Amino acid sequence: MLSCRKLSYTVGDFTLRDFSLELNRGDYCALLGPSGSGKTVILELIAGLRPLKKGSVFIEGKDYTRTPPQHRPVGLLFQDYALFPHMSVYENIAYPLKIRGIDKVEIRETVHTFAEDLDISRHLNRMPDTLSGGEKQRVALARTLVIHPLLLLLDEPMSALDAPLRESSVALLKNLSAKGITILHVTHDPSEVDSLANRRIHLGNSSK
Amino acid sequence: MQYSKNYTFIRLIFLFLSGLMLLFIVAPLLGLFFSTSLPGLFETFRDSEVTNSIGLSLGISALFTLLAGVFALPLAYIMARREFRGKAFIQGLIDIPIVLPHSAAGIAVLGFISRDSALGKFADILGFNLVGSPFAIGIAMAFVSVPFLINAARDGFQAVPERLEQAARSLGASPFKVFRQISLPLAKPSIITGLVMMFARGMSEFGAVVIVAYHPMTTPVLIFDRFNSYGLDYARPVAVLFIIICILVFISLRLLARKRKGT
Repeated sequence: MLSCRKLSYTVGDFTLRDFSLELNRGDYCALLGPSGSGKTVILELIAGLRPLKKGSVFIEGKDYTRTPPQHRPVGLLFQDYALFPHMSVYENIAYPLKIRGIDKVEIRETVHTFAEDLDISRHLNRMPDTLSGGEKQRVALARTLVIHPLLLLLDEPMSALDAPLRESSVALLKNLSAKGITILHVTHDPSEVDSLANRRIHLGNSSK
Repeated sequence: MQYSKNYTFIRLIFLFLSGLMLLFIVAPLLGLFFSTSLPGLFETFRDSEVTNSIGLSLGISALFTLLAGVFALPLAYIMARREFRGKAFIQGLIDIPIVLPHSAAGIAVLGFISRDSALGKFADILGFNLVGSPFAIGIAMAFVSVPFLINAARDGFQAVPERLEQAARSLGASPFKVFRQISLPLAKPSIITGLVMMFARGMSEFGAVVIVAYHPMTTPVLIFDRFNSYGLDYARPVAVLFIIICILVFISLRLLARKRKGT
């Protein structure tokens, strides 16, 4: 499903050399490594946010190496969730649909469906800065999922959550994974993905 | 105890120096206002030469501020987001009009639009003489004031987290949509501040404007002309009226910006 072949990239003092990764459809893969090991860079390379100097990215057999990020079938959940502060929760979730030119009625239906699924319906009129960490995560997930990405990239999704919220976040991700979506989850904390990942990759080591 | 005494003493010194500084700003303005009679002010307000010059100053400055925005905002965005060789040099170029004597800026603009220049020759073919035209006034105003817009907008774009732009890209937005829907709205307060600064600086410009166009007269040129020809008593009411209008426009734009920010 996802095939990263010999990705190489240099930014500042950090160099990624010949990183390869193969994921099957429905995989929940944890990419583990300490801070500065290049986990986020790998996600950004797959998402197209950084231009690859060497290597290739294939998704469902199609070469996306030179494709700009807006044309990749990839959803990326940022570590700080990156909600747009000048838009309400509703507008945040509707944003990817709006830029695709989908009509208003369909946008409203889709936003409400995802908001119900993620239990954030009551927050739709709120602004992001009034939400808790867990609520922000659900909004960011809803915003990413409305475009039905083939591959979901999670960058330290639980780092901003305290213990009780982590449990509900794990349940949420487990639920997503059960729906068959392929997930690549970056974290420095192996316990976070204990009950989630069917594959683990330690940066610098081969896939288990 | 000693510490407390020292603190009080330093505070008094600071208050005294601050008071003198504020007095330095306010005293000439108050002197100007108190030495102008109300009937004289009303008479000036009815003087069509004065009202025309105020309309010209405000109108040209507003128009060229908006026009400059079309070019200044992309430049500000590039300066905020891109690292490239020669960036410090480009920033230096942007700041040059701020440090130039304004009369020298006027001479530079005059060289740019005179009949000998490429632009002047082109205008000549079309039957226009740029020198002494409202266009020349606008170019002179924009030349000395556009750095305020570029720098304020650049600071505004810099304050927008790049993460938000990346998030928008990953959600399907093209670079232009990211600029229009994410960067621009989030940098809006700084951009509006820049526009207000550029507009205010442009409409009050004298040194550069007087060199490229004595006529039609903008208000700063008219104030100078009346002072030069008839003396202080004739120049003062025009100055007071223009200051009042500048302050009113400035306050209105600030309130509008704050209201927009609030909404």
